[in-house]
Amino acid sequence: MSAVLELTDVTRVHGEGPAAVQALRAVSFRAHAGELVAVMGPSGSGKSTLLTLAGGLDRPTDGRVVVEGVELGALGNDERARMRRTSIGYVFQGFNLIPALTAAENVALSRELDGVAARTARAEARRVLEEVGIGDLADRFPDDMSGGQQQRVAIARAVVGERRLILADEPTGALDTETGEEILRLLRARCDAGAAGVLVTHEARHAAWADRVVFLRDGRVVDETGAESVDLLTEPAAR
Amino acid sequence: MSVKHALLALLEQEPMYGYQLRAEFEQRTGTTWPLNVGQVYTTLTRLERDGLALAESEDAEGHVIYRITDAGRVEVATWFTTPVARTQPPRDELAIKLALAVTVPGVDVGTVIQQQRSATMHALQDYTRLKRRATGSEPAELAWSLVLDSLVFAAEAEIRWLDHCESRLRRAAIERAAPTSAPTSTPTSAPAAANERSHR
Amino acid sequence: MSASTRGGWRVALRLARREALRRKGQTVLMLVLICLPVVAVTAAAIVWRTQDVSSAESVDRRMGSADALVETTGADRVVQGFDPYDSFGTFGEDDLSPGPNLGRGDVEAVLDVLGHDRPVIPLDRDSRLFETDRGVGDMEVVTTDLAHPLADGLLERVEGKYPPGPGEVVVNQALASRGPGIGDTLTVIRKTADGEKTLDLEVVGIAESTENRGYELAAGLPGAFGETENPTGRWLVGGGPVSWDDVRALNAIGVLVASRQVLTDPPPESALDPVAGGFDEPVDQVVVSVLALVGVMVLLEVVLLAGPAFAVRAKAQAHTLALVAAAGGTPGQARRTVLASGVVIGGLGGVLGVGIGIGIGAVAVPVAQLFDTTRFGPFDVPWPLLLLVAGFGFLSAVLAAVVPAFSASRQDVVAVLAGRRGERRLSVRSPFLGLALLGAGVAGAAVGAGTSGRGGGAGSVLIAGSALVSVVGMILVVPVVIALVARSAARLPLALRFAARDASRHRTRTVPAVAAVGATVAGVVALGIAVSSQEAANADAYVPMLPDGYGSVALSADADRSAVVDVLGRSLRDDQVVDVRGVQTSTDQGELEFEFRQGGDVLMLSHWGTLGSSYVVGAKVPDYVDLSADARAEADAVLDAGGLVLMRSERSYPEGYPAPELDGGPVTVDVRRWSPEEEASTATDVASAAAPSAVVEVSRSSPAVVLFSPRLLERLGLETSTVGMFIYGPVSEEAEKDLQEALAALPTAAYLYVERGYQPDAAVRIVQVVLAALGGILMLGGTLTATFLALSDARPDLATMAAVGARPRTRRTVAAAYALVVGGVGAVLGAPVGFIPGLAISQPLTRSWETGATAVDVPWLLILTVVAGLPLLTAAAVGACARGRLPLTARID
Repeated sequence: MSAVLELTDVTRVHGEGPAAVQALRAVSFRAHAGELVAVMGPSGSGKSTLLTLAGGLDRPTDGRVVVEGVELGALGNDERARMRRTSIGYVFQGFNLIPALTAAENVALSRELDGVAARTARAEARRVLEEVGIGDLADRFPDDMSGGQQQRVAIARAVVGERRLILADEPTGALDTETGEEILRLLRARCDAGAAGVLVTHEARHAAWADRVVFLRDGRVVDETGAESVDLLTEPAAR
Repeated sequence: MSVKHALLALLEQEPMYGYQLRAEFEQRTGTTWPLNVGQVYTTLTRLERDGLALAESEDAEGHVIYRITDAGRVEVATWFTTPVARTQPPRDELAIKLALAVTVPGVDVGTVIQQQRSATMHALQDYTRLKRRATGSEPAELAWSLVLDSLVFAAEAEIRWLDHCESRLRRAAIERAAPTSAPTSTPTSAPAAANERSHR
Repeated sequence: MSASTRGGWRVALRLARREALRRKGQTVLMLVLICLPVVAVTAAAIVWRTQDVSSAESVDRRMGSADALVETTGADRVVQGFDPYDSFGTFGEDDLSPGPNLGRGDVEAVLDVLGHDRPVIPLDRDSRLFETDRGVGDMEVVTTDLAHPLADGLLERVEGKYPPGPGEVVVNQALASRGPGIGDTLTVIRKTADGEKTLDLEVVGIAESTENRGYELAAGLPGAFGETENPTGRWLVGGGPVSWDDVRALNAIGVLVASRQVLTDPPPESALDPVAGGFDEPVDQVVVSVLALVGVMVLLEVVLLAGPAFAVRAKAQAHTLALVAAAGGTPGQARRTVLASGVVIGGLGGVLGVGIGIGIGAVAVPVAQLFDTTRFGPFDVPWPLLLLVAGFGFLSAVLAAVVPAFSASRQDVVAVLAGRRGERRLSVRSPFLGLALLGAGVAGAAVGAGTSGRGGGAGSVLIAGSALVSVVGMILVVPVVIALVARSAARLPLALRFAARDASRHRTRTVPAVAAVGATVAGVVALGIAVSSQEAANADAYVPMLPDGYGSVALSADADRSAVVDVLGRSLRDDQVVDVRGVQTSTDQGELEFEFRQGGDVLMLSHWGTLGSSYVVGAKVPDYVDLSADARAEADAVLDAGGLVLMRSERSYPEGYPAPELDGGPVTVDVRRWSPEEEASTATDVASAAAPSAVVEVSRSSPAVVLFSPRLLERLGLETSTVGMFIYGPVSEEAEKDLQEALAALPTAAYLYVERGYQPDAAVRIVQVVLAALGGILMLGGTLTATFLALSDARPDLATMAAVGARPRTRRTVAAAYALVVGGVGAVLGAPVGFIPGLAISQPLTRSWETGATAVDVPWLLILTVVAGLPLLTAAAVGACARGRLPLTARID
């Protein structure tokens, strides 16, 4: 199993001097292909910082962030932007669709930014929207869609172009439990199909969809549950 | 959990014999609460004694078929419409364990919590994995899925409670440390701290 | 106002004040937009009022330290206003009755009225020629007793000696720069009937007039420049105030008086003679109406420019207002809250603008003085006008907040609280109303264009009104157009698609910006068409005398030909100059008149020439007449036969004058001479002869109208002489300037003319440049504010783009796309709207008095520049200036 995302001893300090805040302290972290890793922790534990670093939106103060074998810290702004278009997909809590663009256009955005012909990009977008179950809403504008539908569009946007790393920041936060589960199911399916996923959440119920759960406290990994499972069918809960 | 009412509810649908009842129960609840046949027959005998069910006849293979009585139907209806009483605090063992860990010297409460959380998280992951397979909308499958959800929410609640315990313990540790260190390191903040205490 | 409303306003104003402090950048932008016009108008008003010298302010410069300046008129009696410069009337000059008719020597008669103990000095202003380094120039001379205290304040010493003594003179900077400086000799030339006299004076100092600078001026003691020919006497009178009654008494003996006391503290209007009272110019209703409409348009433009900022602020407050509404707030309260922003910004902007404007005005006055030869008056702050200007700023801010206020009061509370960022649906009615208004504008402009030909100003008012109506109509159409652009954006590249759709989603912000650009473009196009058409009409009416770059010299009868040839030889090659032989029509014996008849019909000939005579002579057609080979052969044959050739060119006969048609037979020439007496001149027949003739078409301008054969002139008994010279081009402008100056120095009259074609008025050129620049600035302003407001609104969207992999420069592309959408839609909408008043106003502007013909010239280049060039340029500039950094983590933390 190869690591799609690899953080090695990553430290990120916001601000300087006495006002400096250590968001992450020497965190090492991996996400392999076909694996969904959940990152849990209370507010301020560094979850979001970890995600911005993994997405190349921010640079670590120290340590290495490697995505698909490429060290992000060594790349310029434009190259990191290219990584986000081709390798890394984001899903946000607030959906963050661009209201001026239709669902299909939102999904096609990264492809278009990457220079793919608009027609091709939109056809691709429609296919992915079909996969996430809202192919019929491709020409709707975000304001005319429900939250769950918008988040499906967001997932489609994050995976379009066969991107191998999906970074999701509380993707179910703004949704009801059932709709949230649908979204997690999509995310899970994507990982089962070979992508690596990082799911930042503060809800254990959502984190449980992951293969591994990493607990962050004050910028440190304090705990991690592995993928080995207890089969409840044969071995009832021990409590 | 009331095995009595669960069996009665199953009998309301159709008359069944003991093994049938056990299989039906486990299918609905996803083998989450395994019943042994003895338990089933003891319960059925009790139901018959209370006039809620009748042992009617034996089928060709000699199974005793039980059917529900009118009194039994009333009992089932009452059961469904009566909220489950929270008379006994759940997860008593874990709560007691933590309560003792906090007070008994020499126990690392943090480790206790972390281990427990890992275990619960594992269970939660397993429930979720089971849930992932249950996608159908058949009544029986749906029933199982709902039971899984109940377990998921319970486990989640436990993890949240553990998180809560952890952060309270940490805060308590910091507050315990503060009065001794504050006067020496930051004398100017001492009056403020004193004020705060006096207000409480 | 009820107590609750008042209380509502108090709360609203407090909220607005807080909001203004909280969003400082936005507040500064709003203040700038509101302030700028106020600052500009305030500064301009101050410069204008300061530059404008009132009667009272002009007292010192006109009469120095004297109490009055009196001037005889030669009339029996005069009536004057308080200031004789403004108005006076004379009586009795044409009257044959003998009157006192005071003149230069009659100071005693003045003192008889004012009292003989008053000090008096004569003050004369005259014009003289002087020798410059290169020839001769004009100058104004002031002669008075410069050392006398009464003369203090007329001139200001700059350097050297002042006042000058006998035989000495002071000159101003303008004169010194043309030759004689301190220590040099000023040679004054006087041309009199007896010939030319020169007079040498020593320049001892430089002094400037307190009235103006720039014109050459010299000052000396009375008589320093020789006897004056001015028959009127002017004196400075001191010795105490000269009252209005004194003025009236002097008027009665034909003397005009500018009295310090009367000018600085005028008596009531009723003291004026009713004859003098009526000299005030009547207020022109048309000008007032047009100015009012222009004012409204400027207000509209400012409101539109500031509109987007207020719309964005209202949008930012939308969530608060929705919460207020959810808590029971009325739409009225929401409206007031947004309007209060306008009140706060408008009040602050007005006061700030006037303050800054006064400061800029103070700085601008000395700068403006550099460009004006007239000395400015004391620094003047026209407070009532400035109050009006500040009110204008206030009003524009409040008006800019009106539309956002109303949309805020009608906002969908649920949608806002749910975080949906869209806007209300388009109104169905307003675009139709807009189209109706546009139609009304077209109709009004058409009617205005038709009526103003005869009726004068009513048409102009109608056209200006129509322009306003059209612009308002355009504004109402803007939202639909933006929506259509957004709808058809699906095929556009990403940045443009995003910009177009986003513009449509935020119409309260986009519409005023687009409308501001549109109104600007409409204005530029309208004025551009008007100015160009007027220019075209002027150019059409221009008749060139000679081929371009060619020249001619006209000699008067007594001119010294060889001296002129000498001068020409200095700047031109010999082969460039050809003598023109012809009949000198103006001589000491009087004016010769030629009439040409064929049968009983007098041929109408019309010609303006620069050759010294329209009647030239030659045995052959001179080379300088531009003819085709056939025509030349025909003309030569007629001349050979002792005939005459009538030359015509199309340009010589503007529409309405038919060219002479000849039947091929002989033409009779009648020559008459008008006697030299100016009045009661009589004509005597000199000669008459019939001769063969031909009419030839001159391909370019015809230098003369009739070419006689020498034989015919002999028969008529007329002398030929060199009437002028024809100069083959090119004559450089430098050579022209040198020649003009050199010829002016000759004792005899020789007039040089060089054809330069139609020269557009420099002012017109400046107007065009200023128009283009102002249009560009306003367009840029409208586009920039809208673009940057849009960018700050679109921050979250840009962050999203960054997250899905947009390059940092995407922000620039999006910014440029915004600018292109706003500028492009505005320009495309505005240009046709500008055609409406532009075409209409060009009709009355260019209508010819004689023919009623009108000219229309559309400055396509200007329009193309404004419609296509400026939006692209703005987009490029915005793209270049926008920060190429995406807000990366705005959404993640």
